[in-house]
Amino acid sequence: MTINQVLLQKSPIPVAFLDDDLSFVEFSDQWLKQFDQQKSIKGKSFFEAMPELPEELKLDINYCLEGVDHRSDTMRVASRNGDAVWYQWKISSLKTSDNVVNGLILILEDITERKLEEELLIKSQQVARIGGWEVDLVKNTIFWSSITREIHEVPEEYVPNLEEGISFYKEGYSRETISQLVQEGINKGTPWDTELQIVTANGREVWVRAIGEPEMVGDKCVRIIGTFQDIDKQKKAEIEYKKISERLAVATKTAGIGIWEYHIPENDIFWDHNMYLLYGIRESDFKGVYEAWEACVVPEDMDRASQEVKDAIAGKKDFNTTFRVKLPTGEIRWIKAEATVIRDENGNALKMIGVNADVTELKTAQLQLVKSEESLQGAFENSSVGMALVALDGKFIKVNQSLSNSLGYSTEELLQLTFQDITHPDDLEIDLSLLREVIKGKRTTYQIEKRYFDKKGQLVYIFLTVTAVKKINGEISHFISQIVDISSRIEAENKLKGLLQLTTNQNNSLLNFAHIVSHNLRSHAANLSMITGFLLDEEIGPREQKESLGMLDRASSGLNETIAHLNEVVQVKLETEKKLKVISLKQIVDKVLQDVSALVNENQIKVELSVPGQTTIKGVAAYVESVILNLITNAIKYTDPEKQGLVSIKVDEDDKYILMRVSDNGLGIDLDRYGEKMFGMYKTFHRNKDARGIGLFITKNQIESMGGTIEVESKVNLGTTFTVKFLKS
Amino acid sequence: MGKLEKACIIDDDPIHQYGMKLLMRKLEFSKEILVFHDGQEAIDSLLDMLHAEATLPMVIFLDLNMPIKDGWGFLDDFVKIPHHNREKVTIYVVSSSINPSDQERAKKYEVVSNYIVKPINENGLRQILRELK
Repeated sequence: MTINQVLLQKSPIPVAFLDDDLSFVEFSDQWLKQFDQQKSIKGKSFFEAMPELPEELKLDINYCLEGVDHRSDTMRVASRNGDAVWYQWKISSLKTSDNVVNGLILILEDITERKLEEELLIKSQQVARIGGWEVDLVKNTIFWSSITREIHEVPEEYVPNLEEGISFYKEGYSRETISQLVQEGINKGTPWDTELQIVTANGREVWVRAIGEPEMVGDKCVRIIGTFQDIDKQKKAEIEYKKISERLAVATKTAGIGIWEYHIPENDIFWDHNMYLLYGIRESDFKGVYEAWEACVVPEDMDRASQEVKDAIAGKKDFNTTFRVKLPTGEIRWIKAEATVIRDENGNALKMIGVNADVTELKTAQLQLVKSEESLQGAFENSSVGMALVALDGKFIKVNQSLSNSLGYSTEELLQLTFQDITHPDDLEIDLSLLREVIKGKRTTYQIEKRYFDKKGQLVYIFLTVTAVKKINGEISHFISQIVDISSRIEAENKLKGLLQLTTNQNNSLLNFAHIVSHNLRSHAANLSMITGFLLDEEIGPREQKESLGMLDRASSGLNETIAHLNEVVQVKLETEKKLKVISLKQIVDKVLQDVSALVNENQIKVELSVPGQTTIKGVAAYVESVILNLITNAIKYTDPEKQGLVSIKVDEDDKYILMRVSDNGLGIDLDRYGEKMFGMYKTFHRNKDARGIGLFITKNQIESMGGTIEVESKVNLGTTFTVKFLKS
Repeated sequence: MGKLEKACIIDDDPIHQYGMKLLMRKLEFSKEILVFHDGQEAIDSLLDMLHAEATLPMVIFLDLNMPIKDGWGFLDDFVKIPHHNREKVTIYVVSSSINPSDQERAKKYEVVSNYIVKPINENGLRQILRELK
């Protein structure tokens, strides 16, 4: 192997030596490597051994074979599979001394990659809108690449000079800055890289990045080359971003939101300014590790918060929590925290970025709200006062147990009702009119005493307080009704009233009785005293003395009789309701009529009876008998001598009483004159020898002691009717 | 002691009537004693006297508690008699009632001179006789 052969083989370029038949004579290793061929190609035909080549190469080879010394070119060939391959070649013809071509030297390089890179560069320059420029300070010329012109929005043939170039920069900061930079570049060779605004030929403002590299010869600048990039979009985005960031910073600062970053593998924690304010600690006091944060959290919340961080890192749960921190001052603050975990492509957690906000006020308000809601709810449910939320139309929205208890309805039943449904009709209008005043805004609340009907239809007395609840817009949303069941109070009141009435009656009758006792006993006593005086008077003659003795006898028996009457009355008054028994009215009437049959016959009285056999009353048999006897004998006693005497006994009943009417067609009584005294003791109204003025008094007392009443109707000369009410059995 | 012309007792109690008459006779109280058993009887008789142009009694002893028409009823009717016919009549209420309201009520009648609680005795009656003269 000759030195030449070795040189050829080891040459770092793909070179081949062909004979005039275009067969491989020699080639470099680089050739084999590039075309992936074996040394066995030696002697083989070039075109057979080679892959598809550009037509232009074949032409150039032919030119050289025909005697052209050199051909070179760069061409692309598209292969059948669609790949494009760029070749660059240089061909020299080898000639004998008589100038006959006997071989070729071919350098054939696959420059596809380099070519692609070039194309990419151009493309990327276009896409990135990077233009080039050059200022030759020796010739004082300026060159702009087409993209640079494009950025300036000047025509393709535009040729600028240095001053014009600078004047494109926006007046003010941009122009001053570039002038200064160019000046310094020229004077000192200082390069620049700056972002400024130009105003294009079309008057648009565009952000550009201008880079300038001065070339110095000695201390003199001869040339400046540089790039010129349209960064308008990025710059504007950046400015916008900056604005947003600033705004965010202002917002977070104002809102008291702190931003933090936790670099997990490194255990580094970074806090922004707000975080330190939130935690009340100085930057210099914060160690910047996870444990330093943990130390700030109150012990009660620490385990939970710490677990939530772990869960977030493990990807189990988003980090969104609330915990308490203790400030160095001892103050406890509520912190709401949210964070995002950033992971690598394998899912390993790299860092957490999050925010903290102080929600103490909110939390305190919330806790208070919960507490007050709870206590309100508790008060509502457990109140001994009936409570209800009532809709504007009167429907019960919510009721408590106490109200259910008072009304005997279940909660579910009440919720189907309106308050109008269960209100006593007599009480409804006043309630509704007050409610209307509330709705009209004339008042916010009212209180009334009213009556409901419970489930069984029984009256329930209540004391009602109604308060309107307003929505935020001021409209009434519903009413709160507080219902105090005062039935027992009213009952007690009524009982008390009854007792008072009873006591008053008893006092009256006692007073009456005392008066009777004093008056009647006194009149006898006065008589006795007077007559004894006569008996002792010596000046009175014997006849008068004797008469006086007779009078004494009359007076003392009168006294005796009066005492007996009074005793009878006292007995009646002492009888109590407890002795009342069920009595057949008919039986007693029959017995009395039998007892007075002689009297009836003697006076030729007609008796009409209408007493059903089954009528029973509550009473004391002896009293009932005495009452009936008294009324019948009275009727007979005061018959009108000019008329056929008639006595009728009729029985009727109402809810509570059996009514017995004893009527006659006798003399009658002038009730206008004597009405008040009818049932008084020792009141008589006729000049009848049997009238003693005691019967009706005792009758009345007997009837009243059995819980009944007696009334009288009468017309002079027409007759009298007594109506006795006995308690039903 | 000169007798009054005419006196009147209105009382339903026979014992009281007897006692009064006895005492009046003893004191020679009046020439004539009229006795009525109730207010109605009394007023009827007095009106009859007026019609007959007879003199009315100078004094009337009136009980309150009587049947038919009690003392009050009588007083109400009596004051309706024209004044000139009854100006010389003095009425004493004589009652066993010690009820103060009865005494007060009686004093409201101008015609009632005094209220006497039973029993009336000799001295009391003598006193009245003196007053009337």
